[in-house]
Amino acid sequence: MSGVSGWRKRPRGLQIPLVQGFQVAQGTVLSRNAEDSNININKDSSRCNCNHDNSSSSGRTNRTSTLLCVLLIALLFILQVGTVGAIDMWWQLGMSDLLKNPQVYILGATPICTQLKGLSAGQVRFCQKFNDHMPSIGRGAKMAIGECQSQFRFMRWNCSTVADSSVFGPVISIASREAAFTHAISAAGVVHAISRSCREGDLHSCHCSRAQRPRNLDEEWIWGGCGDNIEYGYRFAKAFVDVREQEKTHPRHSPELARMLMNKHNNEGGRKAVYNYAKVACKCHGVSGSCALKTCWQQLPTFREIGDRLRDRYNGATEVRFNRRGTRLVRKVRKFNKPTREDLIYMEASPDYCVANATTGSLGTKGRFCVRNGKGMEGCDLMCCGRGYNTYKQKLVERCHCKFFWCCYVKCKTCERIIDVHTCK
Amino acid sequence: MAGVVLETLGNKKLSILIISLLLVLAAFFLVGGLVSPAPNNVIATTAINCVDSEKLWPLGTSQPFLPRGKKKCSSIGDLHKDKVIIDEELGPNQIVFSQMIPLVRDNTQLSMSRWFQNLIGVVDLDIEFSSKNPYSEEKSPKMVLDARLYGRFKHETDDDWKLIAAAQEQRTLECAIENDNREEGASYNCDLLPLFELGSVYYDFYLINICLPVRERNIYNVNIGRLSELKVIFIHQNGGFTKVWFSMKTVMFPMVLAALCWFWNRVISQERSTNLTERTLFSLGIILSVMNCPVEWLTLAFNLPFMVLLNDIRDGAFYAMLLSFWIIFVGEHMLDQIERNKLSAYWKHLTVVLLACLSLLIFEMCERGRQLVNPFFSIWSSEVGSVAAFTFIIVASIAACVYFLFLCYLVFKVFRNISTKRSSLLHMSTFRRKYYSGLIFRFKFLMIVTLLCAALTVIFFILGQVSEGEWKWGDEDINIEYTSAFLTGVYGMWNVYVMALLALYAPSHKHFTTGDDDNSDTLSQEEEVQLTQVPSTSASEGSNLASFMAKTAAD
Repeated sequence: MSGVSGWRKRPRGLQIPLVQGFQVAQGTVLSRNAEDSNININKDSSRCNCNHDNSSSSGRTNRTSTLLCVLLIALLFILQVGTVGAIDMWWQLGMSDLLKNPQVYILGATPICTQLKGLSAGQVRFCQKFNDHMPSIGRGAKMAIGECQSQFRFMRWNCSTVADSSVFGPVISIASREAAFTHAISAAGVVHAISRSCREGDLHSCHCSRAQRPRNLDEEWIWGGCGDNIEYGYRFAKAFVDVREQEKTHPRHSPELARMLMNKHNNEGGRKAVYNYAKVACKCHGVSGSCALKTCWQQLPTFREIGDRLRDRYNGATEVRFNRRGTRLVRKVRKFNKPTREDLIYMEASPDYCVANATTGSLGTKGRFCVRNGKGMEGCDLMCCGRGYNTYKQKLVERCHCKFFWCCYVKCKTCERIIDVHTCK
Repeated sequence: MAGVVLETLGNKKLSILIISLLLVLAAFFLVGGLVSPAPNNVIATTAINCVDSEKLWPLGTSQPFLPRGKKKCSSIGDLHKDKVIIDEELGPNQIVFSQMIPLVRDNTQLSMSRWFQNLIGVVDLDIEFSSKNPYSEEKSPKMVLDARLYGRFKHETDDDWKLIAAAQEQRTLECAIENDNREEGASYNCDLLPLFELGSVYYDFYLINICLPVRERNIYNVNIGRLSELKVIFIHQNGGFTKVWFSMKTVMFPMVLAALCWFWNRVISQERSTNLTERTLFSLGIILSVMNCPVEWLTLAFNLPFMVLLNDIRDGAFYAMLLSFWIIFVGEHMLDQIERNKLSAYWKHLTVVLLACLSLLIFEMCERGRQLVNPFFSIWSSEVGSVAAFTFIIVASIAACVYFLFLCYLVFKVFRNISTKRSSLLHMSTFRRKYYSGLIFRFKFLMIVTLLCAALTVIFFILGQVSEGEWKWGDEDINIEYTSAFLTGVYGMWNVYVMALLALYAPSHKHFTTGDDDNSDTLSQEEEVQLTQVPSTSASEGSNLASFMAKTAAD
């Protein structure tokens, strides 16, 4: 149960009812609690395929001690490799083509959950339970990656993706500001995408109302209507994103615990950037259109606004360290303000993004485009870290004289022009 | 000689009456604030972008485009980058925005209910900043929404969607963006576009299809920029609020009717011709009863889209009558020697009231009346219509101001007359002086109550507006619904007010001996017999106050 505790311990006493009648009957993994119909996911990880999980050795019969030892050693080895190398992240869903076709889920093809790369054991269970949510999560992750790259396109670290399961490469395993940002923006992406899917009517289990009056959903709906979808997106994202951080317990003072706390904080920061900044729109519709009756509703902020907000938070991120007991993170420099739940936190200084480094995972800025005489980070002086730049002429073939409408296919001609291109040495 | 109840009722009984009326009023507010949910609910949806690849939409014969279910249309996620767009070279005329309400929640297909009474649709466009495809900021672009609204019952299938209305409507798109925010992909802030208003929620499911056809020749839908998504927001009355509202009307209707009958019975039993105040009060009661009459129950069984219009007209008639009543009431207490007591004496004042109400009625008929035929109609969308609508509203507000000044002037005159005549009270005997100053006090008291009612209406109106503006997430504490409380409270307040008038301005059966008996015992004696049915023999008209004034004038 600890895996979904964030989901259940909501202070407002609202419980999100179980998805009834959904074809997710993986008996060993799920159990349904018929009485209170709450989400109830067992902590059985027998079908977990992620190399972090050490619980697959539990419950073994005592055959020979040697075999056990070998297994344990092997496991420890895998664990070591896992932490040094890339982290498996659910952000993979944003890169995956498997999610392109939502029909796959509707057909009840639950085994696909184990094929999806990057999901932790708890997230696999979520996938099986809420399989219609997975395309939205994929969409959210994709949006997050796109927004990250757009926000950092002129920075030395440009949020580039690599072709492995960590999405952003091993550089994210450093507990830096950049890691904080990626966690936050992808959590925000999930909130945004789930809320939007609810509004599109894509999902079957968006919850309905916070009104407590009649018990039955139909009556409740007729009595007081439905609650807001952003709240559902927030709660689902909290459960789904944070479940991977809660799967294991770490000893005090351990770097794993620190990283876990940091990730959870930054995930929350990302979610709050959507949830707390929903805009309100209103419509007057009283007698003769007067404003005696005014109805208001929440509007999802655009993802660009969320990205801008998180970018500000990235710039003002707080450096933290363990407290004396090694259980919580506190700010390193006392004179700075205490980080709120909306702020981002980090623990380690960012690595040098100027030069490629196999240990840190930095890709370096060699070959990056830059702007000559640019004053900001995009300027060749800063971007190339003083190494200088190459300039060459490039023939640019582009679409031009286009006829644009509010959407759809754009008819264009192609034009060619020669431009100067600068790339870092 | 007979007075009205207000003048003859003992202080104790008067205060009991007032306190009980105040309690009823408080009950109205509490029912609205605690029992009833918010008056309206919002279903905020994002439309599904259906693809009309065979170009069936312009033919008008096509099946509706469904956003989900077995017959779901083929849809695209992104309006610009989707693969299908490039493969099939889709044009903007081939996109049909579709949404169906209510949405699926908690794995249940909810359905609309007739308790919802009315349904409003609003469109919200998300326009992105794009330097290549800019939104025309100098001149707000004209849009044409080609919209179709369908309805279906629960027991029917997706083949049975019935077309409720179809129309091509013009709207003007007003958007703005901050200067430091002008980068690719940033969003404009766009005004909401009114889409439709339905006066009844007769079906279980509603489906909206919208097409934004591009017409280069007429410059429609051309310079609206880059659309990233179209949201349709549906607003309907909450079933809980409707239930509370209906119950209140059903309770108030017989109560006011009983008070009215009692009042008229009293007037008739006076065996004299009725005076103007009584007749006006009687018509006010009748109009209030008409407003209270809970004919809305019929909407649960029949499709009555005119009910919203009817309710607005009933409300308007009540307020018109109330405003006329105040003019006549104050005029009849002018305490000068001019004989009024007939409607023609007030033609100047009443014209103003009627003018205001008539222009509002015409506006209402233009907007809501037209919507009976075409729910997508909005008077504000065409230039001529919005000029006309503005004219009506300006005429109405000017008339309201003139009315208010008139009324203030009249009330001021009454109070001045009272204070000049008060000096003559000194020449009277102690008991009579006490009695008449009591009358004056009660008249003033009623004026103050009237003002209080008006002030409370305004205050609660503002409170409702402010509380809606400060949108909260709803804590676990008891949430007071200001808007519901405002609506039920104001409704209850005017009901209670009219009932109080009917009770206090009914002719009293008690006979006050204006004669030589200065004994204060008489008053207590009078109080004992005031409710016994003593047949009146007096033929004198009007209240004691009027006769007092005639007397002082004669002195």
